[in-house]
Amino acid sequence: MRIITTVFRSLLLVSLLSISFSGFTQTAEEGEKLFTANCTSCHAIGEKVVGPALKGTHTKHKEEWFIKWVKNSQKMIKSGDAMAVQLSKENNEALMTSFENLSDNQIKSIRAYIQAESEKPAAAATAGASVGSETASGAAASGENPYTNRINWLLFIIAALLVGVIGQIFGILSKVSEIQGKPVINWSSINAKLLLAFMITGLIASIWEFVVHGRWTVYATDAASAHGAEYDNMFMITVAITGVVFIITQILLFWYGYRYRADGKRKAIYYPDNHKLELIWTVIPAIVLTILVIRGLKTWNHIMNSRDEKASVVEVFGYQFGWSVRYAGADNKLGNHDFRQMGVVNAFGVDPKDPKAQDDIVTTELHFESGKPVSLKFRAKDVIHSAYLPHFRVQMNVVPGLPTQFNFTPTITTAEMRTKLNNPKFDYILLCNKICGGAHYRMKMKVVVDSPEDYKKWLASQPSLVASSTPAEMPVDTNAQVSISTEPAKTLASK
Amino acid sequence: MSNLHHDDHSHDSHEHGHHKETFISKYVFSMDHKMIAKQFLITGIIMGTLGMAMSLLFRLQLAYPDMKMPFLENLIGQWGKDGKLDPNFYLALITIHGTIMVFYVLTAGLSGTFSNLLIPLQVGTRDMASPFMNMLSYWFFFLSSVVLCCSLFVEGGPASAGWTVYPPLSALPKAIPGSGTGMTLWLAAIVLFIASSLLGGINYITTILNMRTKGMKMSRLPLTIWAFLMTAVLGLLSFPVLLGGALLLIFDRSFGTSFYLADIPADIAGGIERVGGSPILYQHLFWFLGHPEVYIILLPALGITSEVIATNSRKPIFGYRAMIGSILAIGILSFIVWGHHMFITGMNPFLGSVFMLGTLIIAVPSAVKTFNYLATLWQGNLRLTPAMLFAIGLVSFFITGGLTGIWLGNAALDINLHDTYFVVAHFHLVMGSAAIFGMMSGIYHWFPKMFKRKMSESLGHLHFWLTIVSAYCVFFPMHFMGLAGVPRRYYANSAYESFDIFINMNQFITIAALLGGAAQLIFLWNFFYSIRKGKRTEQNPWESNTLEWTAPIEHIHGNWPGELPTVYRWAYDYSKPGAEKDYLPQNVPDAGQVDEQQEPNPEVFVPASKPTVG
Repeated sequence: MRIITTVFRSLLLVSLLSISFSGFTQTAEEGEKLFTANCTSCHAIGEKVVGPALKGTHTKHKEEWFIKWVKNSQKMIKSGDAMAVQLSKENNEALMTSFENLSDNQIKSIRAYIQAESEKPAAAATAGASVGSETASGAAASGENPYTNRINWLLFIIAALLVGVIGQIFGILSKVSEIQGKPVINWSSINAKLLLAFMITGLIASIWEFVVHGRWTVYATDAASAHGAEYDNMFMITVAITGVVFIITQILLFWYGYRYRADGKRKAIYYPDNHKLELIWTVIPAIVLTILVIRGLKTWNHIMNSRDEKASVVEVFGYQFGWSVRYAGADNKLGNHDFRQMGVVNAFGVDPKDPKAQDDIVTTELHFESGKPVSLKFRAKDVIHSAYLPHFRVQMNVVPGLPTQFNFTPTITTAEMRTKLNNPKFDYILLCNKICGGAHYRMKMKVVVDSPEDYKKWLASQPSLVASSTPAEMPVDTNAQVSISTEPAKTLASK
Repeated sequence: MSNLHHDDHSHDSHEHGHHKETFISKYVFSMDHKMIAKQFLITGIIMGTLGMAMSLLFRLQLAYPDMKMPFLENLIGQWGKDGKLDPNFYLALITIHGTIMVFYVLTAGLSGTFSNLLIPLQVGTRDMASPFMNMLSYWFFFLSSVVLCCSLFVEGGPASAGWTVYPPLSALPKAIPGSGTGMTLWLAAIVLFIASSLLGGINYITTILNMRTKGMKMSRLPLTIWAFLMTAVLGLLSFPVLLGGALLLIFDRSFGTSFYLADIPADIAGGIERVGGSPILYQHLFWFLGHPEVYIILLPALGITSEVIATNSRKPIFGYRAMIGSILAIGILSFIVWGHHMFITGMNPFLGSVFMLGTLIIAVPSAVKTFNYLATLWQGNLRLTPAMLFAIGLVSFFITGGLTGIWLGNAALDINLHDTYFVVAHFHLVMGSAAIFGMMSGIYHWFPKMFKRKMSESLGHLHFWLTIVSAYCVFFPMHFMGLAGVPRRYYANSAYESFDIFINMNQFITIAALLGGAAQLIFLWNFFYSIRKGKRTEQNPWESNTLEWTAPIEHIHGNWPGELPTVYRWAYDYSKPGAEKDYLPQNVPDAGQVDEQQEPNPEVFVPASKPTVG
């Protein structure tokens, strides 16, 4: 009986342990997703980004405090919480976005994730957030980095050697030439030969780069948009023309430098001008540029003035340091917005009473429908950002108080592009391309081009602003709120 | 033009000046253009060293984003905590690097040095139109440099919004720490800088237009002077616009106005809701200076190159009139192209078309200049001095960087190239490297005029080769990063898997940059060593035609003892058929052109004109 009890107890213990363990891992996994979606634009575990490094945060702050802080840190600072005030001061009083939309449990799983990451042994900490490699090495860096000293020493040695060698050369040269009464080295001939050598190696190197590194550029594959073909055409014409001029003029320049070096036997010719020649090389560039201008203007106006009534309206909203997307919904009209309503909860500042807003959908991924024109509208919350989609040949500044737009048609789905590039991990991206603050370099968003069916499916799975309740019952702010962040979490979880 | 009266006058004051020359008045608050030129040059070199050191710091970060560099903590304290460069401080570094290089080195250091040195000496006058204003110009510049350097030490760090300091980022201290005190000091420094630039510019223009010596018609001016004239005109017309722009930004930052701020909620904007302004307005005001500024930087370098290439090719510059024409055309066109920096701000596409048209037209005079340089080299008798090599290097950079300008000036192509590393590569070649090479060329060429001694040629050659190789290795690969969509001003590319491929290239670039930095140490050593111990120069070391080489080696107040030289010909009579030597200085008349008595004789120079100290 006793034995049975003991066995039963131990079994219970084991199962409990395993439950708690699996529970722990699960929350940490959940936390990782939430962390990636909400935190990585400003935080990493092992290093300071804009916000402080989060390693060890779980020991420093109590859970209750942590949840309050994540939900609304400014409120805590204003209320005079000593820890909050200190933390704010330590970080130059930078504002942390409030996450009132996150549930207590979600914040707990983020905390669990932080704990799991912090407790990993430094060397084994491989998985950071989405920005894995960097975070990991940041954590790993607490150990000794083998490169550190080597590079420092290398720098020092290079500098010392250079100074030493040059001093020696200078000393010897000046002494020898003093004794001989004439320069030791025939610099004229050396320089002339070097000019020639530089020209040849330089040209070979640039052609090599075009061939090898050219493949790394976005122009090595087809543009993923309808106007992209026209763009790439213009691009190639320009590359060809300037390439030819580059090669000819550089060859002439360095060749003349080599060929006409002073040798003490020749005299230069007196050749101050030749009007015919000058006319020729004024008119020819003028004609070539006229061609480029005419084509360029055509391309530019065609790209910028393309408007399609049927285009789906999508709004991209930029803020420090992230992007959100708002789809116009069934009526294809975005609800009105007012910057005064932008706040902790209603990030977009959407007017909740506006009927057009009722079917709007807010997401954290940008999906396009392949082959369907899209009208991207841009709005910024704080400073100027720039929405850059290199694979689509699309870029437009995102300016606070000055709505901008870009109309185009995506043509190649993510899946098709993956096949083209033979890279199953490929994803389109939207980058911030206008300096916007400390985490500018992490401000990005995943872009997906779906087939029409997939797109419809995806969009249907995204709840609208008023999905969960009628606006009358629900406080408006929370509406926008709900769809802003629980949904991405769901989407991620469902994958 | 009758300048006889003026000559007498300034000669008087020169005599008068001798009696009260003290250390302070000679070396510190000097009103002598030659001393002011040296002051500009040395301040420029110091600032340039600082700017370059900064670039090496952020290059290390870009190449080794994971590496810990413990020396950073010693060097920059809290910004390099644990040997990691702070992302905000990275932005501060690129901002101050850009500001220093564009304004302090390539505007003041280049134009300030050589306009001051060469304008009076090459047009044949005793000093600037207003030596006092000239002195003020330097001291405003000095003050401005000090203020900018001070901003490195304030809380929050120096300005970090990029050298163009676009609001709202630069207007809202909450948006980035550098937009606090650091930004205030940046604006103060720029206001002082503009004052300096305007005081200098007015002087240069007046001196060139009114104080040329007898016989120095506009059509006989060396191309350096034409370039300095156009540069000064550009600065005079465009800097005030930047001043206006900067003042409005100061208002927005300190007095709660909203010139550049629209729809910014109160919690971000320091407690006051900001409505009604336009962030794009600032960009228009900034680039109205910003684009001519590119030519303010480049034209003096091109002027210097014209002079150096002609002298060392022993050939007249090809197409002198076309060269003047293209300087004027570039100058005028530079005022109607500023919008090409703003193609994708959401401006009306029609406006974009206009700016694109203007931009691509500038390529025509630029092409003419390039072809004229090539034609000058053709069938020349090239003396490959360090100055000449740097001039050839300039032409090479001007071609490479200029051609990519045709890509970027095309509004359509700019959509996908804007603000990527392609832009970084483009302007570092066409205005960074090219202008620095022009400046180096000028330093090697006119060093004997400034310091009475020569720099070491061997070290000069070494300096040139290391610099041109490293500059190309640094900037050429950047084109390809840009074409792959890598944005500029990124602290690290580690958040983007598709950019991982560039990590080796980034390391290559950084090593090349370190090599380039080391090469500049050779230059610094050569420069400062030669000031004290270089070989003494001859009267006319490069056998050049321009007037500065007729002035005595020993600097005297008033430049020429006795009468000013009279000019009988243009500056480019090299290898003229029938002439005894392969050069004919401007003050040498053709047989029977004038009676010999009017000729100033350089040999007449007497030590009595050495200033007596005390």
